[in-house]
Amino acid sequence: MSSNSPLARDPSTLFFQADYVRRSIISAYWLIIILALPLWWHTTSIERLSLPSSQVNEQIGHDLRIPIRIGLDVGSDSSSLALRLQQAIDALIRNSPKRWEGLDIHISNTAAKGLNNVDKLYTVVNSDRIAVRGRQLAFPMRETASVPELAETLSDLISPLASTSEQDHRVAQYSPRYRLSFTLLNEDAAAGNFFTEWDVSDAIAHHISPILSQLEVLHNFTIESQVQFHAPLAFSPRIVNDGFGIIPEDLTVFVNSAEWTLSSSASNDPVLHFVIFVPSAERRPLHILDSNGEVSSSTSFLLPQWGSILILNPQDSFPLSKLSSPSLRPVFSAFSIHLLSLLGVPSLPPGIKEISDDHHVLTDWQLDSLLRYRALSNARGSKDTLRSIVNLVDQIENMPVGQDVRGDIQGALVALEEMFELSKASLTETFRRSARALTLSSRAFFNPGMLALLYFPAEHKYAVYTPMFASAVIPLFVAALRELASWRRQRNERATGEAT
Amino acid sequence: MHVLSTILSLLLLYLSTWAWAVDVSQEDAVRGFFGNSTTSGSGHTNNWAVLVCASRYWFNYRHMANALGMYRTVKRLGIPDSNIILMLADDASCNSRNKFPGSVYANRGRHLDLYGDNIEVDYRGYEVTVENFIRVLTGRMDPSVPRSKRLLTDDRSNVFVYMTGHGGNEFLKFQDNEEISAFDIADAFEQMYQKKRYNEIFFMIDTCQANTMYSKFYSPNILATGSSKLGENSYSYENDNDIGVAVIDAYTHYVLEYMESINKTSHKTMADLFDTYDVKKINSHPGVRSDLFKRPLDSALITDFFGGVSQVEVSPPPPPPPPPEEEEESLSDVQAPIEGEGERKPPRHQKQQQRVHASALSQTSPDAGTWRQLRAWGSIAILGCLVGWVGLRK
Repeated sequence: MSSNSPLARDPSTLFFQADYVRRSIISAYWLIIILALPLWWHTTSIERLSLPSSQVNEQIGHDLRIPIRIGLDVGSDSSSLALRLQQAIDALIRNSPKRWEGLDIHISNTAAKGLNNVDKLYTVVNSDRIAVRGRQLAFPMRETASVPELAETLSDLISPLASTSEQDHRVAQYSPRYRLSFTLLNEDAAAGNFFTEWDVSDAIAHHISPILSQLEVLHNFTIESQVQFHAPLAFSPRIVNDGFGIIPEDLTVFVNSAEWTLSSSASNDPVLHFVIFVPSAERRPLHILDSNGEVSSSTSFLLPQWGSILILNPQDSFPLSKLSSPSLRPVFSAFSIHLLSLLGVPSLPPGIKEISDDHHVLTDWQLDSLLRYRALSNARGSKDTLRSIVNLVDQIENMPVGQDVRGDIQGALVALEEMFELSKASLTETFRRSARALTLSSRAFFNPGMLALLYFPAEHKYAVYTPMFASAVIPLFVAALRELASWRRQRNERATGEAT
Repeated sequence: MHVLSTILSLLLLYLSTWAWAVDVSQEDAVRGFFGNSTTSGSGHTNNWAVLVCASRYWFNYRHMANALGMYRTVKRLGIPDSNIILMLADDASCNSRNKFPGSVYANRGRHLDLYGDNIEVDYRGYEVTVENFIRVLTGRMDPSVPRSKRLLTDDRSNVFVYMTGHGGNEFLKFQDNEEISAFDIADAFEQMYQKKRYNEIFFMIDTCQANTMYSKFYSPNILATGSSKLGENSYSYENDNDIGVAVIDAYTHYVLEYMESINKTSHKTMADLFDTYDVKKINSHPGVRSDLFKRPLDSALITDFFGGVSQVEVSPPPPPPPPPEEEEESLSDVQAPIEGEGERKPPRHQKQQQRVHASALSQTSPDAGTWRQLRAWGSIAILGCLVGWVGLRK
């Protein structure tokens, strides 16, 4: 278009080139950008609610202490004996503080007032032999000479060695729910002479259920059972003089996990396995060998935290089909012992008899020390978890913290607080709160929303944002600056025009 | 002219942030080197393995084969399927280009089918993402995720983590569309440590510049090894003419070859494994990082990480009174089929190599965080000044 074309007009006369139109267009762009900034900020920021760190630190500072009150009722000199016994036990505590961690022992004379109505008071009475009944220990007291002996017995009952680190690796980690899986494995049914069925429900009802019902305060159990007809071993047993034998090294790889399916994977509860292994007819009898290669009389072994295996060599040569209750009796009594040790139930010290009025398998002493062991370790676990959540959230900047995480942490803190309060009053309630604190703090830790966003170096962010925004923002900037400049020029011109 | 100067100043800005970044990453490395550590690395009662093949497509056949080869080895040495999390980003066995459907071979001549008849892939195809991998490690799962997809470890678990794919300096590419950085893995391990989800970890990675992937770890009791150092490629070992692509990577091939001599009761140690690394054969410099690991390498058994159970307690005969069990500890043995060895050929196929211009920044220390924010605002201010200057100059 040439300049003298009739269509050519002075650009400043075009209506859309009017200053105010141009300026409002530019400012509209800027207005939208500025108004959008909060939205952008909101959508790109991570929700990080503040955690009750100070409360967490406060609760972590507390240690759970469980008082144990023992009343001595052994006749006229009870009070002096109580004093001596207290001193003897204090000495024991000083010798091995680790074993007594979290336990406060108070020994008194039962005749002293106010003690009779305390919940769960342990009493010691005089008797001619050592025995326990309920929370009572009968002990032959012969003046002061028997105080050290009594102190030893009491410490074995109250804080059995089983609950210390030595046996820790055998005991399954605490879980509110366990699955018990009972399996009858026929190595090779094709070789003949195998079991097709077993009276498992009967055996469980007789040997396992009584234990489970006593432990229902601690855990919830689910039971499943199965029979398998082909379960090859992954190694060949040695030939020994009257059959076959498994050397200790082979025992560690006895479970052929590649080919045996020992439990359903229906839930995420930890599983304790109990396996009866019936060797193939061609490999009977199958023995466990000791480290010298001699046949040992044991038929069962325990895999720490996993379960127990029993090798059953059928006695009869005629075709078998059913494993009846009587023949399951020794098997399940072994399983019940293993179950107890996997769950961390301490055994009674040797030489102590139980006089039970009812048909309980476990004495109150055992149950209480298990409750104490689990309560102390749960309290420790939940405090550790809370501490690590707070640490990690501080440490990893991109980690989101949502409402449910905070709720769970607060719940765990409440449970811990209640636990500390109730530790003086009721052991069962203390344990319940500790389990709740552990469950809630773990749930907070494993909250799926807590996944830290992936790490992007700052350079990545520039690299992403610059090509996107620079091309749009730079012209806007320049336009705004030019407009500003021309506005100032106009104002100056106007000012000088007015002045002249 | 204006635009030119703006670009120039932007470039300057980048350069300066780089210089800072290098500083901070060195600090971080030093911090990692003196990392905090308290627990002693002794008894474990269970073993777990997380095996990850992070790349898809047919031409990455060898990565599938790497992971499956490891899977076969850990399973042979006694880790049950329930304790193995296998992540395969692609299903090479069912690829339409696979002339041998349903099979994956790791050697020329196809002697051993790694896919076999008893294989459990826990995450496959597009399920193999960085997010899922981190979720597996940290345990942060939706409640509905089934048991087989979870790493249910505790403080008595030894965990073996194997990764393979295409990577570069401090990252490993997942699925061609995302990548995991060395920081992400280091943070995931730290979270596992904080929640007591492991006793010891053995981390092995076969990718280009693999040794950079473990350089950021800072949690105790981790032993790490990788196939190649910074700036170096990892190469494939051989290819099969019928399959038409490379079938395995050199580093993994030699590790697996050594593993064939190990059985469940072997007393070979990690030191023995690392001694077999031969730069000439592997064509790259494999690295080992053991400063976070508490035990001497020559007392850490290979079966501590590749094996199954290590402890058994034989109970006294059934009828007698309650338990005190005697303890016997040891390891044992099983025959294993020997993997067929193909003819060897000098490596020809070169792995794709990726580089990012990004370098590492500390993300863990709060100081570094505020420093980074300050820097970001500072650079915005500089940018603003520059633009202002350009606009007003006319």
